[in-house]
Amino acid sequence: MPNPIITTKLHIPSVKDKEIIRTDLINKLNGGLDSKLTLISASAGFGKTTVLSHWINTCKRSVAWISLDKEHSDISHFLLYLIAAVQTIIPHIGKGLSAVLLSPQPPSSRSVLMTLINDLANTEDHLILVLDDYHLVDSSVVDDALSFLIENLPEQIHLIISTREDPVLPLARYRAGGQLNEIRTEDLRFSKSETAEFFSHEVKLSMTDEDITILEKQTEGWIAGLQLAAISIQGHEDKKSFINSFSGSNRFVLDYLVEEVLRIQASDVQDFLLRIAILDRFCGDLCDSVIQKKPGTGQRTLEILEKANLFIIPLDEKRKWFRFHHLFAELLRQRLSMSDTVDIKELHKRASVWFENKDLEIEAFKHAIAANDLDRAEILIEGKGMPLIFRGEMALVHNWLVSLSDSILEIRPTLLVLFAMVLTFLGKGSDAEKKLLRAENAPLENRDLMGQIAAIRAMLAIPQNNIKKILIQSKSALENLNPDNLAVRTITQWTLGFAYQHSGDRASAMKTFSEVIPISKSSGNIMATIAASTCLGQVQESQNQINNAEETYRNIIEEVGEPPWPSICEAYLGLARISYERNDLIKAAEYGDLSLSLALQLDNIDTPISCWILLSKLKLLSKDTIGSSALLNKAEQFVISHNLENRMKDVISVQVQSLLHQGNISGASFLIQNNELPIESVRIAIANGKYLKALDLLNRLLIDMDEKNWKKERFQLLILQVQAFYGDGQKDKTFILLDELLFLGESSGNIRIFIDEGQMMYRLLSEAISRGSSGDLLKMLVTSFQSRSLVDPLSRRELEVLELISQGFSNRDICEKLFLALDTVKGHNRKIFSKLAVNNRTMAISKARSLNILKH
Amino acid sequence: MSKKIMIYQIRINGHLDNKWADWFGNMTFSLENNGDTIITGPIVDQAALHGLLKRVRDLGMPLISVNQIQDKNTGVEI
Repeated sequence: MPNPIITTKLHIPSVKDKEIIRTDLINKLNGGLDSKLTLISASAGFGKTTVLSHWINTCKRSVAWISLDKEHSDISHFLLYLIAAVQTIIPHIGKGLSAVLLSPQPPSSRSVLMTLINDLANTEDHLILVLDDYHLVDSSVVDDALSFLIENLPEQIHLIISTREDPVLPLARYRAGGQLNEIRTEDLRFSKSETAEFFSHEVKLSMTDEDITILEKQTEGWIAGLQLAAISIQGHEDKKSFINSFSGSNRFVLDYLVEEVLRIQASDVQDFLLRIAILDRFCGDLCDSVIQKKPGTGQRTLEILEKANLFIIPLDEKRKWFRFHHLFAELLRQRLSMSDTVDIKELHKRASVWFENKDLEIEAFKHAIAANDLDRAEILIEGKGMPLIFRGEMALVHNWLVSLSDSILEIRPTLLVLFAMVLTFLGKGSDAEKKLLRAENAPLENRDLMGQIAAIRAMLAIPQNNIKKILIQSKSALENLNPDNLAVRTITQWTLGFAYQHSGDRASAMKTFSEVIPISKSSGNIMATIAASTCLGQVQESQNQINNAEETYRNIIEEVGEPPWPSICEAYLGLARISYERNDLIKAAEYGDLSLSLALQLDNIDTPISCWILLSKLKLLSKDTIGSSALLNKAEQFVISHNLENRMKDVISVQVQSLLHQGNISGASFLIQNNELPIESVRIAIANGKYLKALDLLNRLLIDMDEKNWKKERFQLLILQVQAFYGDGQKDKTFILLDELLFLGESSGNIRIFIDEGQMMYRLLSEAISRGSSGDLLKMLVTSFQSRSLVDPLSRRELEVLELISQGFSNRDICEKLFLALDTVKGHNRKIFSKLAVNNRTMAISKARSLNILKH
Repeated sequence: MSKKIMIYQIRINGHLDNKWADWFGNMTFSLENNGDTIITGPIVDQAALHGLLKRVRDLGMPLISVNQIQDKNTGVEI
């Protein structure tokens, strides 16, 4: 995915060697390093940026710098730059967050900031983060994000904001808490001695004390004014008369001085300055194209301007790119707009062409908009195969489309469809549909456009859960879209796969996802690759293709590299489930924990539920019943607080299994009363000894699964069927089916699906061995039952009883200690013996010690 | 449809001549003896007013005062 970061915006402005050093201000900046925030707030032209770059030059700490502009009012843009700036110092910080932000539906700014803050808090490095020109950001969303960042700022970080207006932050509270270091206009104004030093050292003009006093008074220590005055004086033969007329003028200082400065330039330099003012940044070659001069002219003129101190600021070490001081640019643009002779739109158009030829499509697009050249803009927005909306420029494109009148849109169906696409990604489905209807009013001969319309309708049907519509629209889109419209084709393949997956047609889903992965990889769309691969892995798991699923998940993890991105939490969850199924419980817990920590950094996903359920099962297996139910409670709370009622079944299903293992059949029956959980109903029937009822239920369910060709569910049902046959005494059927299941399990690597069934499965397998069956899986399963862990965990009461047995108490002693009847204690004993697969107290104690379940 | 337009006066330190009128969206300028400029004209709404003040800020002009000179109930009908 192309990154929209313009690196010159992360460049710390360089220091000119002659500039005067302002020791007081540097001391004040150093003194503020213990507080959280330094605020430099003053009008344009007071030398805020210059003072900062001087200080950074003397400061030993690392500095990350962002030169903000109005595009950073878009929160995704702001965060992208924030991450990129920090990465200039600590490259691994926030890795993966940028790609997440560039995805069509990025997570909330808080979760992104939380990840970034956590990453920063874990580093050794001390870092200064500078946000220059924060006044250009006009967004309460960014203000909120910034105050969140400040509230949670790790100790190692010092934030500096430079701005022309006080930001909307709780400054009074920061002040009161001693967290704020402030540099304001009064601190920045040149004093008389600084004014004198400026003229004698920086611009090397000899001035009388009287002249200095007049200039200082007239400009009120305003540095931009003094600099312009110095340039004007240099251009005047008689500096005394200039100073007198300047001091005698009532005109706005800057207006007066800029006019003076322009007047003393050669006419070609004047022309150059005015025309170049339309550019936010420029290099010699770009200037030549915009002004239409011989190659090399621009570069030479830029050198002259730099030497003459004409407010141009280098943006890189090589001095290739420059920009004007904002204040100067503003004044130049004001003068350009008054000129009758210059065709400003033509200038923008030339700039647009230049940027396009350099493959800088975003800037090319911006100048096309400024030139009001709709044809150009319409072409550039396509971004040569990767539309600008997929390059993090959703807000830019959206703002432009909003600014166009209906009459313009009416005759440009391409733009209407693009508008609908943007609105879809912004979650404004009904507005998107209106645009599509209008686009369809125009005669559509362009098949690709018809394909795009269908693709958007497919996306719009996803939140409505209208699977049939997704299916129809996706298919129609793929028929009509251009083969090289990879961006939209990729999305549509994914919506198609999604529809197949959710309509239960897993074979088609698998095929579709397998096809889309190489396409998204080749177009560099890593988010689409992750999304499609994750879905593929899940479908493979649900078809019990455990080994294939593992490979799919491992590919995702490899694709992303270290450290993992939050968006691959589902891949780790998949590996956790697979490790669990293979009975590698340590790995399962590791992957599960990792997945959970990643998933909690994202919003709008239900992955944490699955993580907690799995981790809860693992806790149960390590006899931590309290920890287990705590995790299950978390899952349940999450389901409720996020309105994810459809996931409640998963939670209840685990609760039912856990109750059945404790022998609490009535509790389990109660739980499933209001829920359609067919597999759990079968389990309860078997636990109740109602084998024929279980078999009847199973027959019906199996017919359904065979029709759908759902492999994993079918396997699970057969596992239950074999126990029901066994319970019902149908030995022949039992052992024929068991052979089939062992064969299936052996080839795909299933273990826990057997072991989790508990005691009856153990008896069944043991009997199979005594009947002469063999096979690696069978032997391994029986050994697991015997040694690795207890399938049926002992209840708390049973553990208490066992503890007392191991301390040598008789049954009667135990009755008294626990206030129980003798029969009850004997009942507990029988259960303990059965669960431990032993037949007397001595063996129970030795087995319990080998399993390490006794406290003493 | 008619809407009410407010007349505002903005006082800035320093004289600005009439070539700035465009920049301020066709307001009239009056230069005061004390060196201030009073910019007077219709402002359609609060957003327009803030936009204008932002321009003043970006040019570093010292802003002295902003006054609405018409009662909002008797604004000009256009």
